[in-house]
Amino acid sequence: MLGLGIAKGLSVTLKHFVETYIEDLRYFPRRYSEEAMEFRQSVKGRGLFTVQYPEQELPVPESFRYIPFLVYDEDGESGEKKIRCTACGICTKVCPPQCIWIVRAKDEKGKPVSQPAEFYIDIDICMNCGFCAEFCPFDSIVMDHNWKMADYERLESHIFDLHTLLKPASYYQQIRPVQYAERQAGKKKERKGKEV
Amino acid sequence: MTTASPHPSQPPTVPEDLKRNVLVAPLDAISTWGRMYSLWPMAFGLACCAIEMMAVQTARYDMSRFGAELMRPSPRQADLLIVAGTVTKKMLPQIVRLYDQMAEPKYVLAMGACATAGGPFKEGYNVVSGIDKYLPVDVYVPGCPPPPQALLQGLIKLQEKIKSQSLLGVPWYRKDQRNEAVPVPLYGPDIIDPRQIPIIKAELDRQRLERDRQEPEEETGSAGDETQEKATRRAVKPPKLPTWDLTPEPEAQALADRINQEIGEGSVSPEKDTLVVDAQRLIPVATYLRDTEDLAYDYLSNVTGVDYLDRDLRFEVVYHVYATSRGGGPVVLKARADGQNPKIPSLVSIWPSADFQEREIWDLYGIRFTDHPNLKRILLWEGFHGHPMRRDWNEAYYEEPTKPFNSRWPAGHHQLADSRNPYNRNVAYPTQYPDGEEWDPENWDPMEERLSVVDVEEVPHTGMRTQRIMVNVGPQHPSTHGVFRMVLTLNGETVVNAEPVLGYLHRNHEKIGERNNWLMNMPYTDRLDYMNAMGNNFGYALAVEKMMGTEVPERAEYLRVIMAELNRVFNHMSFAGFYTNELGAAFTPFLYAFRERELILDLFEEASGSRMMCSYLRFGGVARDVSEDWLDRARYLAQERLPRKLDEFERLLNQNEILVSRTKGVSVISPQAAIAYGITGPMLRASGVPYDIRRVEPYSIYDRFDFKIPLLSNGDLYDRYLIRILEAREAVKILNQALDQIPGGPIQGGKKAWQTRVPAGETYARIEHPKGELGYYLVSNGTANPWRYRVRAPSFVNLTAFGEMCKGHKVADTVVILGAVDIVLGEVDR
Repeated sequence: MLGLGIAKGLSVTLKHFVETYIEDLRYFPRRYSEEAMEFRQSVKGRGLFTVQYPEQELPVPESFRYIPFLVYDEDGESGEKKIRCTACGICTKVCPPQCIWIVRAKDEKGKPVSQPAEFYIDIDICMNCGFCAEFCPFDSIVMDHNWKMADYERLESHIFDLHTLLKPASYYQQIRPVQYAERQAGKKKERKGKEV
Repeated sequence: MTTASPHPSQPPTVPEDLKRNVLVAPLDAISTWGRMYSLWPMAFGLACCAIEMMAVQTARYDMSRFGAELMRPSPRQADLLIVAGTVTKKMLPQIVRLYDQMAEPKYVLAMGACATAGGPFKEGYNVVSGIDKYLPVDVYVPGCPPPPQALLQGLIKLQEKIKSQSLLGVPWYRKDQRNEAVPVPLYGPDIIDPRQIPIIKAELDRQRLERDRQEPEEETGSAGDETQEKATRRAVKPPKLPTWDLTPEPEAQALADRINQEIGEGSVSPEKDTLVVDAQRLIPVATYLRDTEDLAYDYLSNVTGVDYLDRDLRFEVVYHVYATSRGGGPVVLKARADGQNPKIPSLVSIWPSADFQEREIWDLYGIRFTDHPNLKRILLWEGFHGHPMRRDWNEAYYEEPTKPFNSRWPAGHHQLADSRNPYNRNVAYPTQYPDGEEWDPENWDPMEERLSVVDVEEVPHTGMRTQRIMVNVGPQHPSTHGVFRMVLTLNGETVVNAEPVLGYLHRNHEKIGERNNWLMNMPYTDRLDYMNAMGNNFGYALAVEKMMGTEVPERAEYLRVIMAELNRVFNHMSFAGFYTNELGAAFTPFLYAFRERELILDLFEEASGSRMMCSYLRFGGVARDVSEDWLDRARYLAQERLPRKLDEFERLLNQNEILVSRTKGVSVISPQAAIAYGITGPMLRASGVPYDIRRVEPYSIYDRFDFKIPLLSNGDLYDRYLIRILEAREAVKILNQALDQIPGGPIQGGKKAWQTRVPAGETYARIEHPKGELGYYLVSNGTANPWRYRVRAPSFVNLTAFGEMCKGHKVADTVVILGAVDIVLGEVDR
């Protein structure tokens, strides 16, 4: 019968329409609560799917990678920043679009020191692939989670220098707890191995 | 640049006496509020970022909430230009023209690293390093690609900016600040900004002066500090010419003997597993291979050029030919040509699938194919200077022959590539034409195509006269899946001829790929077919592993298959969404498909770290392991949700009278024609050819799963839709088995290294990608960088038959026919 196919199709859209409200009723009157949102965004959700950004925000998983940052450890007493980076240059060599620039520091005699004097990442070239973080032997460059970076200007603010790139290890631990713990454990093991 | 930015970032201050104006103040507030919440973006996307831009329109992010509901297909109705994706030089004039056509007030948002400054493709010869060099940009959204919420954040930023603009200060109401149209760039030897012509002229004059001065004297010691700096860096060695053992394998030897006997001694000589064909006798050899019954090599899959710089016969064209009736491996033919005037007979008459691929070789390598029916440039424009894939051709931002670059470490003082260029952008102009004539930037003809009425003819028996006209669709047409253009010759409503024009997203994937080291190409492959990053990774990893002989652990194999099949499901579902869009069914199926896509992307994001650009595979394994919780969610998807959703799709669409009457019996392709045109993937199987690489030449662990190859016989548009749904069901079946059987254990075989050396040699590996056969042809010289990196993209070759499929159908059908090919421009143009 002509029109049956369309009618069948419309029944699907009607079902979707009804399903939207069923979950609403289930979480009534707290339909925007965290619990409700978590369920709706999961593979089991059937109803309303919209995240009310900017009031709500879709959480990012731990592995999420955006622009990289450099980790520094804080010395407990003096509060001095200890940059983990040793300027070994592996991240610059593995970076596919070559968006990392490092100037290795030199001591008074001109001998190279394992510290970066300058460090730049051009975030307008970065492809967020995470190779730098993956292959860094010192766990000192890590992919950030902060994607809220829209800006009115690019020539100055989009070239990240050492100052902009540095973030404390506590921040690293906060955004990537599992990876932080794993790498930290790996380091301890290595140190022990050396001592033996 | 003389044009003032129409949107100064600081709003001009309102004069004191006007501030007290009772009428203007409320008016101002209302107008600003109105502008803020009625930003109508233009429906216009360039590359990968455009997919995320589309996602922003769908249910999860819902841009309508910001009053930016209506994506306008016409610039005249839009006030926000979201430049989403890589801006290529070929596309640039169109973008500038669109911007000029928008009415004030108008805003530009650069989405993603590419639109902002060229992004990872910045060094490419066809890539514009930042749309802001041409258009005034209001908001930049960094990221590659930015997640959909980042675009929303950019939109809010833009609204904040609009809020700060007072009616009294905005330029479009002021006579003295009125914005003038941005001059449209011209296609010259490179892209030309008309505003830069004086600079170009001065620079060329300087270069000529230098050239003339240098000719008599041998060397003038240029820039002393430069040589000093060079001494501190390691020397840059030119890449090593690849050589490997060429002892013929018995099979190749036997076939060669047979051909030599049949066609004449010396027509072919075997080299390892390939046959080097005497270029003069290429056509008889090809005909013999195709027409002999027990050989029946009927499907030419891949044609590509290789430049062996210092060899006597510098250029080589490589053909991979398969037999669809038997399956199994290819016969590899090679024809060689000298560097001076390279010429090789065209094989379009034997295997029509060579058509676009030969044009591409002509474009990029400058090898002429004699008797080719339409040997024009395909990815660049006529008049572009040089053939960029030649190894001695360097682009404007060229630094070194291979990565990593010396300038990055240990003395990596940051310097923008733009600042090294005399024009401050990614362009280079030759002083001369190839024939030696001097090129004058002020006095020359820009390469333009003019479209017009073709001819007038009598309609039989009526005495009426009719005109054929040419209609240009794209490259920014909302239904061309990105930046694709087709030139249609019409007789009334009927298509007489349809010619695809490509290259608007040609971002030099292969040129960059040959400079990258092996691993660096992995994230670049994500950006080929940006709907199917996992599939692209898979093919590339297989190719490199084949050369290195790396073993992949069990768990990693299963993870690869799971990812690839998840990718296939959402590709086919989104296909159904796009496809019905093209039929005019508006948004519903698209929204439903994208919801499932979001759920699958959540899984990808958790496993790999990125929604679209996964780079999940590594040589010998995968990047990260997945948790048990992840597997549970995937199981729920595969067992319950996806089958239910596929049922729903079928109920929604299969019997829909409009869909059926628009697609049944339209654009039929016969099995023979489909094979000859090199069509692969679902399109081929919709024509009744049971050819699926997972079956005929199994790779990875596909031989362990129980699944059917769906087959339909009509070869029309309806079958091309239905086959995708059927295939998605089979993919779900594979998923279920893989998720049940997945073992524990390591995910990485061998040692994970940031730099891999691949033994010298060549290889071709192919997979059944959701769009067809995705192949990688690699040549290694034994170092850390590939000598030749070629991607055989399924949608590029599938487009070869586009003209044939459109002929005789109506204009409205061409859009659907194109939709049924399921192209992704990142892969077509590479």
